[in-house]
Amino acid sequence: MAINGQRDGMILTRGLTKEYVMGAETVRALRGVDLRIDRNEYVAIMGPSGSGKSTLMNLIGCLDTPTAGEYVLNGQAVQDLDDDELARIRNREIGFVFQTFNLLPRATALHNVELPLIYAGMSAKERQRRAAEALEKVALADRMDHKPNELSGGQRQRVAIARALVNEPSILLADEPTGNLDSSTSAEIMTVFDALHASGQTIIMVTHEADIAAHSHREITLVDGMISAEHVKTPVAAGL
Amino acid sequence: MRFWEGIRLALTQVWTHKLKSFFSLVGVIIGITFLIAVITIVEGMNRYVREDFAGSIFGVNTFTVVQRSQVNTGPQSSEQRRREARNPDLVLHDVEVVRAATPGAKQFAYMTDRFLSEVRSGGERRPNVRLIGGSEDYQEIQGWKVESGRGLTPLDQRRALKVAVIGSAIAERLFPTTSPLDKPIRFRGQQFTIVGVFEKQGGFIGNIRDASVLIPFSTYNQTMAERREEVEEILVKVNVAAEMEPTIAEVEGALRADRQLRPGEDNNFWIQTSNDLLSAWNTINRILMTAIPGLVSVSLVVGGIVIMNIMLLSVTDRTREIGLRKSLGARRRDIMFQFLTEASTLSILGAALGILVGLGLARVVEEFTPLPASVSGISLVIALALGLVVGISSGLYPAYRAARLDPIEALRYE
Repeated sequence: MAINGQRDGMILTRGLTKEYVMGAETVRALRGVDLRIDRNEYVAIMGPSGSGKSTLMNLIGCLDTPTAGEYVLNGQAVQDLDDDELARIRNREIGFVFQTFNLLPRATALHNVELPLIYAGMSAKERQRRAAEALEKVALADRMDHKPNELSGGQRQRVAIARALVNEPSILLADEPTGNLDSSTSAEIMTVFDALHASGQTIIMVTHEADIAAHSHREITLVDGMISAEHVKTPVAAGL
Repeated sequence: MRFWEGIRLALTQVWTHKLKSFFSLVGVIIGITFLIAVITIVEGMNRYVREDFAGSIFGVNTFTVVQRSQVNTGPQSSEQRRREARNPDLVLHDVEVVRAATPGAKQFAYMTDRFLSEVRSGGERRPNVRLIGGSEDYQEIQGWKVESGRGLTPLDQRRALKVAVIGSAIAERLFPTTSPLDKPIRFRGQQFTIVGVFEKQGGFIGNIRDASVLIPFSTYNQTMAERREEVEEILVKVNVAAEMEPTIAEVEGALRADRQLRPGEDNNFWIQTSNDLLSAWNTINRILMTAIPGLVSVSLVVGGIVIMNIMLLSVTDRTREIGLRKSLGARRRDIMFQFLTEASTLSILGAALGILVGLGLARVVEEFTPLPASVSGISLVIALALGLVVGISSGLYPAYRAARLDPIEALRYE
């Protein structure tokens, strides 16, 4: 009921709980997380390993459903949706960026970026036009026909970002996006993120690196499956 | 996901792993190859037997009297076969009995034959020849046409002249550049004069005729026969089909009376019609058509299991890809469709390869053996349909496993 009063939030969670049964034991990965993230926010979720940040990320990304609690994304309650409906939401609302890039090794950059559009049921011509556009946005217009092994780590992650953005999702969800990159390439990727945020993109990233989290405007720290600290920075403090 | 998208993806996948794909298809390829090759040849035999064999070799409205049955037309006990082997040989006396019993016959002939290991002329030789000693009307009742020279005449018969009409294969071998007419031909220490050459017939049975030498029965009887007056076949041609049965009954009665068989005693001779040959062929055909599906399905089941294993392996190999696709919005049915399409594409490719190899094999068999081949369109359709069925049924379980993967675990899979 309380959630109804906050319709303008893009992400609203109330008492979000996730439990896993491992053998005889029940692991409580998330123990009632209340969270609100608005449009055009730039949020970092931090925490030590085992704190539940990956679980929270999977729930926000609709890869999983909570054991208990509510999750409203863009005004739609998603906690009770079935597999196909979750797939549709992942396709339209979420753009994933992974630590390990997860590009199809035998496909060109262009085809990799096209993938989400295939599942959106778009025609081949339209797909290629939009994928090319997305690659231009991450300054890879001249690398469209290259396969992942012909690209540097930074270029690969930019292909992945283009793929995440090609369907114009509500949220860009990045899981340790610089975890596999050296520091200068990390800086390059974070510049891309910052620019995307400046152009209005909502970004949520999971990281354990403080200097990466420093790019965000809000840091949420999880410990033992609960939010232990929230730190809102002014744009100045965030370095903008 | 769109249909063509799936096919393209599947083809890319097959092409990327060419060798693996090929080996996974061996079972299906062998099965379909076998199916197509055998059906093509059986179909060729079928056409041949129906269109040529019964009519031109055996003759319409014709029956023959022989010592014992030459084709096994059905389940015969070995006891029956032993009894037939004791039947007395046919001799010229039997010819006269049959001739007397068939005054209304259109044509009447008799013959005897033997196998020659070779015939010679000049320096040339031709091995494996059938020597036929035929009565006056023999070549006519058989419908054999003379291409050059002449056939045998009543005079040849009466005087037991050493003249021969030879098959085209023998003419080609012995006289590659010159005309065989009036040339000598030798076999079994005798010299004959070639007076004619038969028209080339070709084909499964025709090849045998093309390698035959026809001489007058009387000459054969005097110079070649192991036992004098021995006759192999008495041929009777009636005017219309309706006369067949009563004429056969007449001949049967006359021979039984002549041989003094008691009522109830079995015939000690055999009367054969083209129906016997047709029904013998139909029996073979039926056995083949029953056995083929069994043999083919065994190799297709094996092929299907191989494909299923390869697909299961592929699902494991591509767990991360499946996780990624799911995270990008692929639904279960999209993943299911992807792997089903892949298995089906693979299997249909195998079927197509099998068809090509099978047709090639049938061509080779047709080229190098007398067996005819005839492609039946329906067998190609069946082969492709079988490919699809094998693909879908072997892809179902792997596709289901892939579709059921949890995206989080799949993405985490190393």
